[in-house]
Amino acid sequence: MALIGQDISPPDLRAKVTGRARYAEDFRAEGMVFAKLLLSPMPHARVRSLDASRALAMPGVLGILRASEVNQPDAPGEAALTDEPKYVGEPILALAAVDETTAADAIELIDIDLEPLPFAIDPLDSLRPGGPDARLEGNVRRFGESGPEWDSLKWPQSEFDAAEAEGRLPMGPPEDEWSHGDLDAAFADADYVLEDTIVHQSLTHHPMEPRSSMAYWEDGRCYLYGSTQSTQRTHQALAGQLGLEPDDVVFVGQYCGGGFGSKIAGATIYQVTALLARKIQRPVMMRINRYEENYIGRARPGFQAWTKMGFRSDGKITGIDLYIVQDHGPYGRSGDYNTAGAVTDLMYQPDAMRFRGLTLYTNTPPRAAQRAPGGAQIVAMLEPLVDKAARELGIDRVEIRKINAPTHDSEFGPQRATTTSAFVREAIDAGAAQFDWAGKQALSGQRNGTKVTGVGVGLSPYVGGSSGFDGLLLIRPDGKLYIHQGIGNLGTHSMADTARAAADELGLEWDDCAVIWGDSSQHHPYSAVQAGSQTIHAHTRANYAAALDMKRKLQEVAAAALGGAASAYRVEGARVTGPGGSMGFAQAAERAIAMGGEYSGQELPEDINNYTRGSATQLAGQGLMGVARDNFSHEGSTWSWVVGFAVVELDTETGDVVLVDYTGSADCGVVVHPRSLAAQIHGGSVQGFGQARSQKWVYDPKWGVPFAHRLYTARPPGILDVPLSMDWAAAGEPDPQTPIGAKGIGEPPVGAGSAAVTSAIADALGGRCLCRIPLTTDVILAELEGRAQPHALTEIHS
Amino acid sequence: MEILRTAPNPWGQEVLVGVAWDLLWAAAIAGFVFVVGHHLYVWIMAPKAPKTAPEPAQEVPERVERHSQASRTFHWLMAATMLTLLVTAFFPVIGVQFAWVTIHWIAGIVLTLLIIWHIIHASTKQDFWSVWTGAKEIGQAFQAAGKFLRRQPAKEERSGKYPLDQRAYHNAVTLVSLGVIVTGILMMVGVDTWFWASNPYFLSDSTWGLVFVLHGLCGVVLVTMVIAHVYFAIRPEKRWMTRSMIKGWITREEYLEHYDPDLWKLGTEPAGAELAGGSASSADPDGVVPA
Amino acid sequence: MAVIRDMMPAFELFQPTSVDEALDVLERHDNTWVLAGGLDSMDWFKDRIKRPDVVVELGSVSELTGIRASGDGLEIGAMTSLRDVVANEDVRSRFGLLADAAAQVATPQIRNQGTLGGNLIQDTRCWYYRGGWPCYRAGGNICYAGTPRSMNREHAVTGQSRCVAVNGADTAGALVALGAQMLVRSAGGERVYEAEDFFVGPEIDIERMTVLEPGDLLTHVHIPGDWAGARFYWETARDRKSWDWALASVAAAIVESNGTIERARIAINGVAPTPVRLTDVEDLIQGMPANDDTGMAAGELATRGFKPLRHNDYKVPLARNLVRRAVRGDMA
Ligand SMILES: Cc1cc2nc3c(=O)[nH]c(=O)nc-3n(C[C@H](O)[C@H](O)[C@H](O)COP(=O)(O)OP(=O)(O)OC[C@H]3O[C@@H](n4cnc5c(N)ncnc54)[C@H](O)[C@@H]3O)c2cc1C
Ligand code: HEM
Ligand code: SF4
Repeated sequence: MALIGQDISPPDLRAKVTGRARYAEDFRAEGMVFAKLLLSPMPHARVRSLDASRALAMPGVLGILRASEVNQPDAPGEAALTDEPKYVGEPILALAAVDETTAADAIELIDIDLEPLPFAIDPLDSLRPGGPDARLEGNVRRFGESGPEWDSLKWPQSEFDAAEAEGRLPMGPPEDEWSHGDLDAAFADADYVLEDTIVHQSLTHHPMEPRSSMAYWEDGRCYLYGSTQSTQRTHQALAGQLGLEPDDVVFVGQYCGGGFGSKIAGATIYQVTALLARKIQRPVMMRINRYEENYIGRARPGFQAWTKMGFRSDGKITGIDLYIVQDHGPYGRSGDYNTAGAVTDLMYQPDAMRFRGLTLYTNTPPRAAQRAPGGAQIVAMLEPLVDKAARELGIDRVEIRKINAPTHDSEFGPQRATTTSAFVREAIDAGAAQFDWAGKQALSGQRNGTKVTGVGVGLSPYVGGSSGFDGLLLIRPDGKLYIHQGIGNLGTHSMADTARAAADELGLEWDDCAVIWGDSSQHHPYSAVQAGSQTIHAHTRANYAAALDMKRKLQEVAAAALGGAASAYRVEGARVTGPGGSMGFAQAAERAIAMGGEYSGQELPEDINNYTRGSATQLAGQGLMGVARDNFSHEGSTWSWVVGFAVVELDTETGDVVLVDYTGSADCGVVVHPRSLAAQIHGGSVQGFGQARSQKWVYDPKWGVPFAHRLYTARPPGILDVPLSMDWAAAGEPDPQTPIGAKGIGEPPVGAGSAAVTSAIADALGGRCLCRIPLTTDVILAELEGRAQPHALTEIHS
Repeated sequence: MEILRTAPNPWGQEVLVGVAWDLLWAAAIAGFVFVVGHHLYVWIMAPKAPKTAPEPAQEVPERVERHSQASRTFHWLMAATMLTLLVTAFFPVIGVQFAWVTIHWIAGIVLTLLIIWHIIHASTKQDFWSVWTGAKEIGQAFQAAGKFLRRQPAKEERSGKYPLDQRAYHNAVTLVSLGVIVTGILMMVGVDTWFWASNPYFLSDSTWGLVFVLHGLCGVVLVTMVIAHVYFAIRPEKRWMTRSMIKGWITREEYLEHYDPDLWKLGTEPAGAELAGGSASSADPDGVVPA
Repeated sequence: MAVIRDMMPAFELFQPTSVDEALDVLERHDNTWVLAGGLDSMDWFKDRIKRPDVVVELGSVSELTGIRASGDGLEIGAMTSLRDVVANEDVRSRFGLLADAAAQVATPQIRNQGTLGGNLIQDTRCWYYRGGWPCYRAGGNICYAGTPRSMNREHAVTGQSRCVAVNGADTAGALVALGAQMLVRSAGGERVYEAEDFFVGPEIDIERMTVLEPGDLLTHVHIPGDWAGARFYWETARDRKSWDWALASVAAAIVESNGTIERARIAINGVAPTPVRLTDVEDLIQGMPANDDTGMAAGELATRGFKPLRHNDYKVPLARNLVRRAVRGDMA
């Protein structure tokens, strides 16, 4: 029976539940010492002087590592240590000592003199005339004719005054703009037009496992144990950062206590552990605590946005005008706001759309992709507005989403891209049936004492797959199939689930397969970053490609040994059987080793990545090798969808909201692993609940210092914030552009969870949208009581 | 002993936050050491100057008015506010806790108003400079100090209405009091009152620190000064002055014994104008002359 | 000196087995700290903001643990865990208000570890103060939370006096409403405080939350029988259903006969630097029917004169509505 579609036990399960699984912090090495970081107390400063002599004189202190000793990329790149910190909590130096207490005591003895520099916490402040720039170079970086250039962008005071007078977001000249269709005509064509300013908070990723690492050097080789989403890519990135060949770095990261986009290719800070270990010639363990993780652990960018949407009386969206000011942190360049524009266009398919936006450098922690970057924000912001229109036009809220949803060949975004498939309506129908939308809808507005019921629906698309990576398989003389996986293991089971494509193609039972993952010395193929929901798509393909290669080789090996045409041999039941008889995989492996050449990996395909070539070369001669690049066709971009349905009870006297029921329904192509899919839909949605209801950043505007830097102040949802009843469904339609038919599912549940809740809260409030995320008790109560809102219209980090 | 308190500000920079309360004990001890020292000095060591019986140059009545009604009212009002300020400021420090801030700043405002009134009054109606110390007086002070150090009996100089030491004391008290007042007024910006909400960012944190330090320093210095003042007020040979601050007059003998009629000409000032004794604080210069 | 957080420095640890021994250690050392469950304390230690030289851990002082009958009421040892308070049959049946309040503190893990005493004495969660800012409460001369731009959504709407922090102890309001007494011992002997006098506002002492001074131990909480079996109402409004302090909470003990309120004792917390007993409301509602009108009147009176800060205006209607619910007799 095919493994795809079955619930199976992933190979890491036993280790996890018994506690045998070793995370980065659990590793030890002979003579290991501990490192601690000195973090910036200021939002933007320059180290004027730093004297560590008292610290270094302390018994047990082994050394420090300064910014000058780590790779310093060009602006706006981020270094692991810096002498010009650009946010509170940015690491300035690391110190190693025999234990952490000594290290911390020593750090306190460092005399550091910082020169405060101008800083910006709220992007809009930075845009005001005379406002501060977060970086010495400016506050925006654009791609001009002569390459990227910096600017100190300021909008005229008149725009701020006008915005203030009109009660809307200030919208000066944007940095990015695209449009399609005739927007004016679209609004003229509309029977209902709405306009709102909406604020969405930034959110720290907060994986349970912080980015701890341990490193040591042996014979010029660096061994690093860390936590990552994508093993092979981390190995490669680390080698690059250390200026070493991949062969001179061993990266081990078998388990990962969550990443959500914050550990896509490991972590910048890993360099510090490695370099410090080299400098002091001792193994170094750097345990990152929750406080540090909050700062260096990445975050989702916040949006200050404005939109105008036009609807025809039949529910069709005629035009959307969207403006997003993105709060970006001091480094890199996050594309969330651009993606948000594309997502909007894709899911509502307006006749005309204009997107304008800009991303501003701010002195807040660096941003990175967080589960549905851009998508999760915008759907939670816009879906309640679509509800508002539906209510106004008397259209069922599920219906209005189906009316506007894309079909397989719909176009979207600035490039008018198309998708590989869009079973949105199927997913909506499956979810509505599972949730009993019609029945639950009747509860909307029902009162029970002081409580009123709200029912919500939120649609959330996100990119769900890439292609072009390599698969690397080996049948060893023990007869087992070894599936080498360069992707990581962040708890999604995809390192096991994508292996099924190979197992199924070779007709193997799961017990005949061994997944090799999480240790670069075990040789991985070139793999996708395990991010952006790429994995299930990219690596079912790559493994399938390698399996096809292996199958051919099995047939040829059998034919060579047993006679007859290779094509006459069948591969099934862990055997190759044909006209000349039958041979087991163990035998085939022995034969392949004897035959050499491509069969045992001595000769390799031309088109595979060099990284894969290196790994395959290491494995050559150890068995029958299947290795191939994924060359299957892939036209259009792959998008997955989740629609969330929620029931909330809102207490009209306290503003309290209890989520009582939730269903998430997906279009993610073929369901590879039902239990895992449920975990993704539910887990992602729970993250969305926190986003919608409680999780946020708070900064003191005067000092630029944050407060929500502990789990209890950042307020991700707890188990009691999760409804007792949570369900899921899936359309289950295979994507035609990928051989296995599976699309990724990591991202879209977050936005679905968040949007379903913001929609349900608006419903409980009789259709009023509060246009602020998170929708905390204070915001809701102020609305219910008709009092001034606790936060100013565009106030962020409050 | 700690003198100043510092703390890292939100950016980790060490800033001043106030005086260390060890200083309060130091000030109190200094006050008592002075009292005990002076007492011993007078009792055992102080050389007694022969009294020269003065000749009355003019008609001196039985009772000479030394402090008018208004002057005395001012003095005692000020004494009360000063005491209130001290008690509200320092009792909580020594562990007697109560809601002190509002009483304290109200008393502070009262004191400020009294002083303003006094300054205006003294500068318009009185010989404003009669209580100020000039170069001449400083010279005299050095002479006296020199004699004292050489343990020569000081000639009992009879003075004008406000003798040198009274004036010096007055000046010191004025300075210190202005110190608490100016800093206290600034600190009013930082507390909520019925008239305005606190604005802690009116000054930078290091400036606030300085203001608090000055307020605290002046405050504890006042403790020493008040101890000395009260001590003199109750010393037997000075009781006539204390009485005069209560009742308003001194006797003819006291006038002749302590004053130079040439320097304090009776009846040359408009009636009731000499009042306020020239004190800028509860420390009444007339009563504290360390003879 | 550079700043480092979330890493506990070393200290000398004492684990006495009797109150006398504990008091003796406290007497003999300077810069001491009493450690109960450690949930509040460890935060301070780890952030290196409060740095005791000597920590006296009370876990082995058996006389401080347990719940027993005392007169017509109960006596609860300060070291009794919140879980044991919640689980105790007497507490549940006669003083359910305390059980309800304790049952919603944070999470099961925290209730297993946290003690009644520690919960009552816990320091405020003002994040400026907790962040090590040199504010009034930390001995400085500014309240960073009270400025027009400060982040004070969780702060006080009443009882502010330079400091605008709130008391976050859920059991505090309940014990005020139950008319409990706090038994305090020091080397100098034993003192007894009414629950409402046990908590100290910043106008009196801006650096402390309770009357306890260095060297003092809270030994027991005595709950008199006065309110046993009354109609109790406890509610905490918060951002999350666990792991979170009250934005505002109400604790009420109300004795009714035939729908008329005979007597009541009500406290709110999370709105001021101390739990606030609503004596005016108690007087007002005496003899009135327990209904929404009375509730509304009570709520309005309770919140009269509240002075919200920049971000916490919502606490006014929140506190008003909580009192309203307590009085009108909602099911908790
Ligand atoms: C994430 C989180 C969420 C929380 N949510 C809530 C909540 O919703 N509601 C709520 O009420 N609380 C909440 N708390 C607070 C928690 O309940 C208290 O911190 C805990 O009860 C304190 O008890 P403890 O025994 O651990 O105290 P400790 O930390 O040991 O002590 C607290 C303080 O009391 C002093 N102390 C303790 N016992 C004595 C004694 N017998 N005599 C003298 N001094 C003593 C200590 O010196 C210290 O200053 C939360 C805590 C956390 C960490
Ligand atoms: C005898 C005179 C005075 C003494 C001894 C005195 C002493 C003190 C002391 C010790 C404090 C506490 C400071 C601290 O916590 O560091 C204080 C606070 C204060 N004083 Fe005074 N003071 C005096 C006069 C005044 C006057 C005249 C005013 C106002 C006009 C004033 C206004 C204040 C205010 C507003 C505070 C509170 C400041 C704050 O905590 O924010 N004081 N005073
Ligand atoms: S509210 Fe109190 S604890 Fe918070 S900053 Fe102000 S003074 Fe400090």
